[in-house]
Amino acid sequence: MTTPSFRSLEETVRATHGPPGPAYFVALGIAGAAAAFGGWSYSLIVREGLHWTGLERPGMWGNLITDFVFWVGIAHSGTLISAVLFLFRARFRTAIYRVAEMMTVFAVLTAGLYPILHLGRPWFAYWLFPYPNQRELWVNFRSPLVWDVFAISTYLTVSTIFLFVGVAPDAAALRDRAQGWRKRLYTLLAFGWRGTDEQWRHYTRAYLFFAAFATPLVISVHSVVSWDFAVSVLPGWHSTLFPPYFVAGAILSGVAMVITILVPLRRAFHLEEIITQHHFDMLSRLVLLTSAIVTYSYVTEILLAFQGPPHDPERSTFVYRMTGAYAPVFWLMVTCNCVGPTLLYFKAVRGRAWALLTICVLVNVGMWLERFNIVVTSLAHDRLPFDWRVYVPSWVEWAMTFGAFGWFFFLLLIGLKLIPPVSIAEMKEDLAHHADAAGAGMDHDA
Amino acid sequence: MTPEQGVLGTFVRPGDAARAVRALKAKGHRDVRVAMPAPFPEVVAAVGKPRSFVDYITLPGALAGLVGGLLLTILTSLAWRLVTGGKPIVSLPPFVVITFELTVLIGSLANLVALGFGIGRGGRPKHFPVHERFNGDVIGVFAAGGDPGSVEEVLRESGAEEVTRVG
Repeated sequence: MTTPSFRSLEETVRATHGPPGPAYFVALGIAGAAAAFGGWSYSLIVREGLHWTGLERPGMWGNLITDFVFWVGIAHSGTLISAVLFLFRARFRTAIYRVAEMMTVFAVLTAGLYPILHLGRPWFAYWLFPYPNQRELWVNFRSPLVWDVFAISTYLTVSTIFLFVGVAPDAAALRDRAQGWRKRLYTLLAFGWRGTDEQWRHYTRAYLFFAAFATPLVISVHSVVSWDFAVSVLPGWHSTLFPPYFVAGAILSGVAMVITILVPLRRAFHLEEIITQHHFDMLSRLVLLTSAIVTYSYVTEILLAFQGPPHDPERSTFVYRMTGAYAPVFWLMVTCNCVGPTLLYFKAVRGRAWALLTICVLVNVGMWLERFNIVVTSLAHDRLPFDWRVYVPSWVEWAMTFGAFGWFFFLLLIGLKLIPPVSIAEMKEDLAHHADAAGAGMDHDA
Repeated sequence: MTPEQGVLGTFVRPGDAARAVRALKAKGHRDVRVAMPAPFPEVVAAVGKPRSFVDYITLPGALAGLVGGLLLTILTSLAWRLVTGGKPIVSLPPFVVITFELTVLIGSLANLVALGFGIGRGGRPKHFPVHERFNGDVIGVFAAGGDPGSVEEVLRESGAEEVTRVG
């Protein structure tokens, strides 16, 4: 592999913003159509009510809440890769964190829709925000639903700021040789950037603070989401294990999604010199580590449940998960999240893009099933046996679930054509030091 | 806005630029400025500027968020006394979630404002001569004022690719 020069690095990144080919438009069309169909399906609920869903007492949470938790989880690894690895000075992040950050912002934009979509009367969603009103009513700050509103809106704001602050120096590098509307776009994104020592002085300090804010935030957000369940008294939900279990699961699904996006992206945009096998190797190790933590959590909650007597509701719920109507979901989840990633122990598997892509797509399927398993089975099998009922999602709910994937990939495909997918400035810093270490100096014009 | 009078040198290697900055400072040139495509640590260390003022805006911002979060949750709960689940009206543990989120949110927004101010201040053409390659592939070292002849000599000795007088 040859090391790219500053100029060739810029040209490679600039080329990703070139005119898209037919494959791009086909992908954009499929994603847009899925999102539009999901939106139209949702309009049925708005016009005619929640009877279009499979929700019925006691299963009042189903696919839509599963989707919400899934997309919040996907959003996590972007901040992990960009902020947490920045604080730990893990240099391998430089080539991949921009895509992860974009993924985070678009995933939060997707996740944030769901609590609203799930409301019976979504036009009253603004009631969740505290605002002075004539009736002198205020929101109930002891409710996890309100915690979600604050956590998700803060996470969206901070991750969006973090993304665009990181883009500024790169947009300036592209601006100086761009023309037409792209020059205007890069000028806007560059935020008046000229690369002076005075600007870098403030920028590096502020970036450090953004990373320091984002790191606890990433842990808090999925902990808050886990408390949506854990603060209730339902068997299978009421557990102190939930926050770390949810955070580990979120990182697992998020990193798997980053790999799922990077493998085709690297090939389509010819980024082989920038996103190398080393990056995939490090991300695979992260998948392996978080899969081990998730497996440990699964085992722990089952073993804890089996500490109780045979009639204990907690134990009954876990037996139901493994042997009841939803048993295929449980075992498929275990296969995808616990068994599949163990193949990543082998370097030969980590080194094959198709194998990595397959494992990571299956992890994402498994992580969606994990959320379905948590959300649905506990409600379907609560403390009152006369109340038990199997929830089956309706076609409208499935359309909205696939529509969310369409919406996410639609945003991502557009974002990739407007925002540099690689951090040019940080890559230049790395290249200069590699060149200095090699004692060769930097070939800036090659 | 016309740039100040001075001499501008362009460098390909961060190490050479850092050496030039140190040499200029050793010769008594106090006002040495740099523009570069990435924050090369050796150049940043050679320039040796004091810590950014961002600290003094971000921390109060975060503290304002912390206090604001506590006041919002406590005062609104007292204004609308809704007892749920037998919990106290002012239940601090759940309020910690809101307070934390507001600390991060207001702190981040304050950080952004401070950064915007810093970028605006450091991006004025008067501060540094405009040159598109400083965002691309070279490092510019600009010494304002002083004896142009001696500055040119130092820059060339340090390995400058190009040396020009400005202003």
